[in-house]
Amino acid sequence: MPLLELRDVHSAYGNVQALKGISLHVEQGEIVTLLGANGAGKSTTLRSISGLVPVTSGDILYDGKSILRTVPEEIVRLGVAHVPEGRRIFPGLTVKENIVIGTSARGHIPQAQMESEVEEMYQIFPDLKRLSDSQGWSLSGGEQQMLAFARGLMSKPKLLLLDEPSLGLAPIIVQQLFATIRTIRTRGTTVLLVEQNANMALSVADRGYVLVTGNLTVEGTPAQLLNNEEVRAAYLGGGKRAEAV
Amino acid sequence: MKSLSFRDKPLLKRLIAPVVLGVVIAFVPFVFQLSPYVLNIFMQAATYSVAVLGMTVVLGYTGQLNLGQAAFFGIGAYAVGLGTVAIGLNFWISLLLGIGVATVAGFILGLTTLRLGGHYLAMITICFQQIFDLVLVNWMSVTRGPDGIPGIARPSIFGYVLADDRAYLLLCMAVLYATIYFVWRLPQTRTGRAMRAVRENELAAEVTGVDTLRVKVTAFTLSATLAGIGGAFYAAGFAYISPDNFNFAHSIEFLTMVLLGGAQSPFGGAIGTSLLILLPEWLRFLKEVYLAAYGLAVILIMVFLPTGIWGLVRSRMDKYKKPVPIDVDSIPAFDLKITGNDPSPILKLDDLKKHFGGVKAVDGITLEITRGTVHALIGPNGSGKTTLLNVLNGIYKTTSGSVVFEGIDITEKKPHERAALGIGRTFQNIRLFPTMSVVENVMVGAQRGNNSIEAGSEALRECALSALKFVGISDKAELIVQNLPYGHQRLVEIARALAGHPKFLLLDEPAAGLNQTEKKELGDLLKRLRGHGLTVFLIEHDIGLIEQISDKITVLNFGKKIAEGDPAYVLRHPDVIAAYLGETSHATA
Repeated sequence: MPLLELRDVHSAYGNVQALKGISLHVEQGEIVTLLGANGAGKSTTLRSISGLVPVTSGDILYDGKSILRTVPEEIVRLGVAHVPEGRRIFPGLTVKENIVIGTSARGHIPQAQMESEVEEMYQIFPDLKRLSDSQGWSLSGGEQQMLAFARGLMSKPKLLLLDEPSLGLAPIIVQQLFATIRTIRTRGTTVLLVEQNANMALSVADRGYVLVTGNLTVEGTPAQLLNNEEVRAAYLGGGKRAEAV
Repeated sequence: MKSLSFRDKPLLKRLIAPVVLGVVIAFVPFVFQLSPYVLNIFMQAATYSVAVLGMTVVLGYTGQLNLGQAAFFGIGAYAVGLGTVAIGLNFWISLLLGIGVATVAGFILGLTTLRLGGHYLAMITICFQQIFDLVLVNWMSVTRGPDGIPGIARPSIFGYVLADDRAYLLLCMAVLYATIYFVWRLPQTRTGRAMRAVRENELAAEVTGVDTLRVKVTAFTLSATLAGIGGAFYAAGFAYISPDNFNFAHSIEFLTMVLLGGAQSPFGGAIGTSLLILLPEWLRFLKEVYLAAYGLAVILIMVFLPTGIWGLVRSRMDKYKKPVPIDVDSIPAFDLKITGNDPSPILKLDDLKKHFGGVKAVDGITLEITRGTVHALIGPNGSGKTTLLNVLNGIYKTTSGSVVFEGIDITEKKPHERAALGIGRTFQNIRLFPTMSVVENVMVGAQRGNNSIEAGSEALRECALSALKFVGISDKAELIVQNLPYGHQRLVEIARALAGHPKFLLLDEPAAGLNQTEKKELGDLLKRLRGHGLTVFLIEHDIGLIEQISDKITVLNFGKKIAEGDPAYVLRHPDVIAAYLGETSHATA
């Protein structure tokens, strides 16, 4: 049984149809990536899973059960963490407080354990350790991106939804970040990754889907996708721009 | 040029329906026998509406909260009351006096307060309101205190005294209609567009070239003027005024009226005012529960119609509106108008520092940027790149050092003054004016100071469309910008900067969030810009893009320059690899 399954999911923002029947599955322990142009519906797919966008028809199953009627807070408690695009951190809290807040859904955690878990995050993102007592707003864009990622990891999710994690990060940090994504999997976390940097995403993923204006067009392993002419043309910067973009 | 014109329908045609409706309403009292009491209610609605339309300008268009509108309304009323009764002046002279005093008071209050931004305007206007109230009550020798002023006479026109309530009401309606027309046209003017830009994103407006302080003070002063006009006609209409008519509760009432009707449109303001004045009359039969029902009705409207009554009407009307097709072929090609090849550097930074408390974000940067080149700024996250851009722009004040642009020291200049010299900018996290259309966003860029285009709205629009065509999205011109996908919003931001014909363009991570294909197109766009002689200074993390387009790279770490030179040199520099690129950079990035 897949950990996550979307069955013919439709959703809309106001009058604009954003998803037009998405069916995909993510198996336990997999890293799956969603590729597609801007506006294709990648972020909307993630937002539909975490309950932030209403689904108009179809079904979303998590661990075999429908989560369509489940509120976002409850979905987090079930073990789904969403790291949104665009650095949504808490500007008035310190870096450490921002990280600790990621554990909110897990109930009480002893002080010593909390410290060691925060320390773990500092090992992944050494810059955050240096900034531990700085307030969120004072961080640069890239640092905020790291912080949002660390906060998501703190909820010890079974399923991690990552929306453009490499946005605005220095190349060296992007490399560390993708190494981290591989490490997370060994801790038993399943990852659904949305990323513009298709080469990078395919280098860590087990499987990938391509989304074109609300529809899934191609599915396959990284090798299959990298060899697909259409995919290369549209998302890997080779050849002509695809019609659907 | 037909396709470039503003609207699908000519102005006159669009005016027919409102004008007919307005004339019908104005002549109702002459057709039906209405009691003096009902006429009084009409008079109150008409004069209050004029003051509420002031709120439309300051709050609805410009986004500034004014909580002292009743005081300006009172200034107009007392000018007519005291002018005609105590001094014996003619009504029209008193009216002008009232408008003048209200305008000057609004200007001074705005100029001193709006510099501070944030919630200060709301607080200061409350204080002003309270002081005004105390003065009215306590300065008995002049204002006649709590007793108020009775016996205010009606004005006369060409010797005809408007003693008949119906005739005077007609005058009030004429004033109201003139105000509605003015406020309705305002958003499409230069100033009105700048006001909306300030409401949507003040920082972006300032950097784009809008003198935000001037725009806010203009809006606030205008709002005070309209309140003064409304108050003056109110006083002559009711013949009696007292301090109770102009206290804080009335300022809140004006606020409720504009929000209830819809702050974005003069029709909303007029509807909200009429409704809040008529509602108590309709609910009178409820007797003791009347106030509770009134409160409940207001709350329900506020909760279910966040954009006001007019907002609902508008969204229904928009559904039937067909999008205007844009004839892309007829849009003239964009010309950056950069001439000459002056060999001197366009920008010079000398030992520039920006410290935040103990944090040395930018710590002594000396840099020269050569005219007509693409110069990239790279470095680890938090190394001070965006801070440097913000200092160049004037968003942050420099701690020490100097910024010289084309031989002019601009270190102390405000962002809009720098824009007027030809410095354009885009932001890391896109800062557009979200509820305005694509072309309006770009028109704000086109109307920066010293822009070398013809005067007039048509020229602005043509310039904006050309800039949109240059970046390849002129077919999206009439869409609301917040509904565009991310990649297109990036292009709108670039077009907005280009429409001001900059000589120097600052780009903060323009490729972030773009896929490989879009990045390639962005690279081509930047090359085209360089071909036109534009100097580009950009922050970017996409090494592929940087290699492809940049002539020179500067690398920052911890606020200091660690390397500088051509791409081949810098991208193989061991310090740059260690701090920024990482070992496998070229294979992956």
